[in-house]
Amino acid sequence: MKKNIINSTIIIIIIFFSYSCKKDYGNLNSPTVEAFLSNATTAELNNLVSGTESGMRNNINFYLDDAGTLGREGYRFSNSEPRYVTDLLGANDGTLSNSNFYITSPWAARYSVVKNCNILIQAATNSALITPAQKSGYIGFAQTIKAYELLMNLNLTDTNGIRINVSDPNNLGPIVNNTDALTAIAALLDSAQTQFNGASIAFTLAGFNGFNDAAGLSQVNRAIAARVAVYRQQWADALTDLSGSFFGLNNDFYLGVNHVFGTGSGDQLNPMFIPQNQNGEVRVAHPSFATDIEAGDDRINKATLRTSPASLDGLSSNRDVWVYTSSTAPIPIIRNEELILIYAEANIQTNDLPDAVIALNIIRTKHNLPAYNGAVTQAALITEMLNQRRFSLYYEGHRWIDMRRYNLLGTLPIDRAGDDVWTEFPLPVSEAQ
Amino acid sequence: MRKLFLLIAACLCTMLPASLFAQNKTITGKIIDAKGAPVVNASIIVKQTTQGTTTDAEGKFKLSVSGNATLLISSAGFSSRTIKIDATISDLQIKLDEDVARLDEVVVTGLSTTVKRKNLANAVATISSKELDGVAPAQTFDGALEGKISGAYINANSGAPGGGISVKLRGVTSVYGNTQPLYILDGVYVDNTATSAGLNAITGAASGGSPTSSQDNPSSRIADLRAEDIENIEILKGASAAAIYGSKAAAGVVIITTKRGKQGKTQIAVSQDLGFIKARKLLGVRTFTAERAASLSSDSATSAGLSAQFLAAQSKGQIYDYEKEVYGNTGFARNTVVSVSGGNEKTTFFFSAAQKDEGGIVKNTGYRNSSFRLNLDHKITDNIKIGISTNYINSSADRGLTGNDNAGVSLGIALSSTPSFAQLHPDALGNFPNNPFAASNPLQTIALMQNNESTNRFITGLSVDATLQKSSTSVTKFIARGGFDFYNLVTTALFPSTLQFQAVNKGTSIQGFTRNLDVNYIASLVNTFSPTHNLSFTTSAGLTQENGDYNNLLNVATQVIAGQSNVNEAAALNATQFRSKYQNNGIFVQEEASIVDAITLTGGVRFDRSSNNGDVGKYYTYPKAGISWNLTRMGIIKDGLFDNVKLRTAFGQATNVPAYGSKFTSLVASNIGGNTGVIVGTQEGEPNIKPERQTEFETGIDFSLLKGKLSFELTYYNKDIFDFLMLSNPPASSGFSSSWANAGNLRNRGVELGLNARPISSRNITWNTSVNFWLNRSLVTKLTIPSVPQGSFGYVLGSFQIQQGASATQILGLNGQGVGKLGDAEPTFQMNTYNEITFFNKLSLRFLIHWKKGGDNVNLTNLENDFGGTSADFDKVTNKAGLPDGIYRISQIGTNAQMFVQDASYLRLREVGLYYTFNKIPVKFIKDVRVGVSLNNFVTITKYKGYDPEVSNFGTGFSTGVDVDPYPATKRGDFHISVDF
Repeated sequence: MKKNIINSTIIIIIIFFSYSCKKDYGNLNSPTVEAFLSNATTAELNNLVSGTESGMRNNINFYLDDAGTLGREGYRFSNSEPRYVTDLLGANDGTLSNSNFYITSPWAARYSVVKNCNILIQAATNSALITPAQKSGYIGFAQTIKAYELLMNLNLTDTNGIRINVSDPNNLGPIVNNTDALTAIAALLDSAQTQFNGASIAFTLAGFNGFNDAAGLSQVNRAIAARVAVYRQQWADALTDLSGSFFGLNNDFYLGVNHVFGTGSGDQLNPMFIPQNQNGEVRVAHPSFATDIEAGDDRINKATLRTSPASLDGLSSNRDVWVYTSSTAPIPIIRNEELILIYAEANIQTNDLPDAVIALNIIRTKHNLPAYNGAVTQAALITEMLNQRRFSLYYEGHRWIDMRRYNLLGTLPIDRAGDDVWTEFPLPVSEAQ
Repeated sequence: MRKLFLLIAACLCTMLPASLFAQNKTITGKIIDAKGAPVVNASIIVKQTTQGTTTDAEGKFKLSVSGNATLLISSAGFSSRTIKIDATISDLQIKLDEDVARLDEVVVTGLSTTVKRKNLANAVATISSKELDGVAPAQTFDGALEGKISGAYINANSGAPGGGISVKLRGVTSVYGNTQPLYILDGVYVDNTATSAGLNAITGAASGGSPTSSQDNPSSRIADLRAEDIENIEILKGASAAAIYGSKAAAGVVIITTKRGKQGKTQIAVSQDLGFIKARKLLGVRTFTAERAASLSSDSATSAGLSAQFLAAQSKGQIYDYEKEVYGNTGFARNTVVSVSGGNEKTTFFFSAAQKDEGGIVKNTGYRNSSFRLNLDHKITDNIKIGISTNYINSSADRGLTGNDNAGVSLGIALSSTPSFAQLHPDALGNFPNNPFAASNPLQTIALMQNNESTNRFITGLSVDATLQKSSTSVTKFIARGGFDFYNLVTTALFPSTLQFQAVNKGTSIQGFTRNLDVNYIASLVNTFSPTHNLSFTTSAGLTQENGDYNNLLNVATQVIAGQSNVNEAAALNATQFRSKYQNNGIFVQEEASIVDAITLTGGVRFDRSSNNGDVGKYYTYPKAGISWNLTRMGIIKDGLFDNVKLRTAFGQATNVPAYGSKFTSLVASNIGGNTGVIVGTQEGEPNIKPERQTEFETGIDFSLLKGKLSFELTYYNKDIFDFLMLSNPPASSGFSSSWANAGNLRNRGVELGLNARPISSRNITWNTSVNFWLNRSLVTKLTIPSVPQGSFGYVLGSFQIQQGASATQILGLNGQGVGKLGDAEPTFQMNTYNEITFFNKLSLRFLIHWKKGGDNVNLTNLENDFGGTSADFDKVTNKAGLPDGIYRISQIGTNAQMFVQDASYLRLREVGLYYTFNKIPVKFIKDVRVGVSLNNFVTITKYKGYDPEVSNFGTGFSTGVDVDPYPATKRGDFHISVDF
């Protein structure tokens, strides 16, 4: 019995010495959100800004392939991923699924950036280490990008709507319809615009060359606002927004802001780049691109002839999509060529047809085409404007949305019996709860 | 409680005959087996004393005893015997019978205590050295477990060299937590992490740009172990047996004991295996005609071109079976093992050195493993014993590039769209042409790429067994075990710029460096108190600690200079690092009482905390209790037909600690244009995460007849998993695509039936057989988060989904009318039978048959082939629509996923071996020579349409059974020769 007492004592002593300290290793791999929310430094806030800009590129290829395929700009042939040519084109009487990558991946990537913007806003608000002007700069940037990202998702789901208020993951706001969503996006852009007045920009951006200060960011903000305005058919507003943006009839078509890519550590390569004449994994132009384009149009170079045609599952094409010509080529976020076409569109809709023709002719002549000589009526000019948008903004994610806006999806070509042209994507399954 | 035992003990004492007074004398004896051969190292103990000895190399012993004594003779593999000796006996010859029913096998029940199987309250499966490795050895240790564990669902992930297997004991025990058992090798917790080589950077199998994904098909690190070194394996299948292992034991515990040296003459054994490896099955390819070639394109000009291409190839005789060229090779295998063992009274040792080198069915793939083991046991004094186990392993696996991908680069995906008339062979200068039908030329890929996993691993264990106190009724011991498992894993994935699919990246080199150190110890005090020989109490108490430290650095270099692999010889470099660290602390107490060697009562409790839990300081409690009641030994059932009948019941709790990092919401690096950026991770942490808790109740009856020649074991279990860990899918608009949660409750129920028999036991022929039957059913009893499809490719192709009121492994998908249940990965039941037939004591035939009935896979391999127009049965017409089957099947995509969810039943001759032993060798120093031939996984009867019903694109996790162009499963044949000196 004595031994037992000794043994018990030994045990107690061992327990005491080896167990009194509990281990908590923390997060060894990356910073945590909580750390950034308490009095963030400029460096930390700038990290959030760059992360936001970087994250805007995530899964951007799915968005562009979704819009490009549904809008019959081209096909994405992949031996390993049949759903590009089945689901997206409506083959076999199938429908778009709410659990498949083509909606879940781009949707989640955009909301991830929205989340980052919300964290940036919160972190900037909580920080006592920055000036109020700097704070406005961060908040203005975050709100602008948030509005843009929400718009991207709304473009996919359209009448199914999106969620606007997502700052509290445990208490998300409702899904709002597209009219309300566009109103909210426009309001968000206006709020950001207000922030930029007198703001000081303490961060640098990679793809915003020439727009890195408060004035420049404000111009970008208005450019996006102009796009939202035409989506809302608020034509006069669109023209006002354009005047605050970097729009200029004689400015370079490619003046604007871009998703940029690079080979640096932690950076990304352009996911839309596929070299010409590949097999298996290819992105080819819809045959109608070459048949519909006017002779002499230099935009034919956006879809180059292949050495041999590519085909899959009853579809085929002899042209590669050649919009993104290297793995570090930029993808436009918004650029002057679109703004010129928005100017044309708003003028057509407000019945200022001569100004519209001037704008359209700038597009035409710079693309090696003769001046417009068709009827100068609203209807004819809308057709011309949509046609110029088709070729000018080829594979930049516009055609499908434009055709939807003008209720013309029914005019898009059907390549196989039983194929469908979808008007919108379903909400991802995770939202339907 | 203890008082009650004492009371019973006191009653029993009064029934004992008064012992006669003692008188010392020396007796000698010899222990032999049924065939008259000496039994070496048998233990002889004088009951109710501390006296005892062991037999020497000739089976002889000498012992000093008092006049009337009872001897207990036991040896592993034999039924123990009690012999009463009186004054007249001085020389004994004692025959031991083989323990067919394994009633006397010693089974681990606590962290430092054991009990005989006949008194066990749980159904503990054991695999002997002969069953593991003595029939038809598998390439790796994990593969050697297949089909051998009753109650387990074991599934190979692919046929790639180097293993990779999923072991689920008694159903799925977790959804996103760990589903794999804990492996303990000689007291050391062995790491079984599967580390990705970063292939996702090439394949893009999972979108999002991460260099790693669950589809990278890495091997499991447990595959490093050498089956030849293993003496036996015990499998604690659920919490009722494993509770004392606490917070890591919810998925079961596999306790591996390696061979130890025995006192006596030094024994040397050399064995050599030579064999070959082939694919179990190839799917075949489509036979093309000019018309069929033309139909590959819908463009008329292209069709004409394809048709001409086919005719040109046909006229030149250049039609190839590329599937056969890629997967139809024969790999040659060799394996050499040298072992030396022996020792004296104080020190014994076991040493082994082994090397194997095996080719794969795909060129430039294969497996190599070299291992050294030294096990030492030393008695410092009569009271203090130490044991040391050391093992060094060097393994290297070249695994090829297979499985799912979204870039058209893996072999299977490339083959799926490559018709037989494509020209892929290199020209005279050795340059491969581009494959016009796919993103890669598989022949070029095989020739130029490398995907290697290379490990250097040390596993060292130490055990101390010290007797602190000893009296005629009580023995107190200090028992400590512990050790470390350290490895460096280097993964090298090289894709030179000349590869067709490297047009963008211009050469990729992915180099991964992993360092892992696991350290654990158990320190305990064990007291055995036997007031009478009919009553004994074993009390144990102690401490445990487990530490893990894992560090993985993965570098992805692109635009690599031709011929180079170093990551700095490149224009672009992306690095990712992942670290994890944990410490678990446990305190345990266990009490076992044995009454008249017939009733065994066990009760124990363990308290555990873990640094991975939300509350790192909180101790969670895991109780266990068990009772076994031997009716024959109690005399309730008279000896006669039945010679052993036992009822047993056990209960216990165990947990899975949350995965490292599940409590954090991270910001991850995402840079742009030289600016460092962070973006919120897609996974939302749960600061209050707690371990998932499993409660298992098990009960059964064991009985044996005909002197143990026929024995049965029947078990029923009910296992409830509370607060199972799951990655829920919150609305993606929250910014998170997954979120850790304790999401609900899950139940597994099942039965396990076992039979051991010796149907023939004549002088010239003995036949030992065992038959097992088991089944499991799971049910999600509660789900607190919304149910969404997961772990596969969505409803269009068939997907797993956790739903309240449904089986945890159900597969849902489109059924023509909408979304419905299409299948379940859970087998209806499984059976196996292991047999050994020995003729004239020299020729031995052993075989293992495994039958899995039911259980569905999601098979997308055939879909890929249909889609690429290359499936062998593409042009058959068996459907109602009257279309070619390939076209018909494609037309079903989007409305019906039933054809992808396929019954993966199989009846498999897992292993068969025939061995002959020559024991009269003219050469003096050779004791015997054994030769044999064996076949592993050679015959499979299945209706499954893919390469093999055993497959898992997603590795070891919850969603096994997804089939996407795996490395085809292999079979092997070997010739064996071993010589004992």
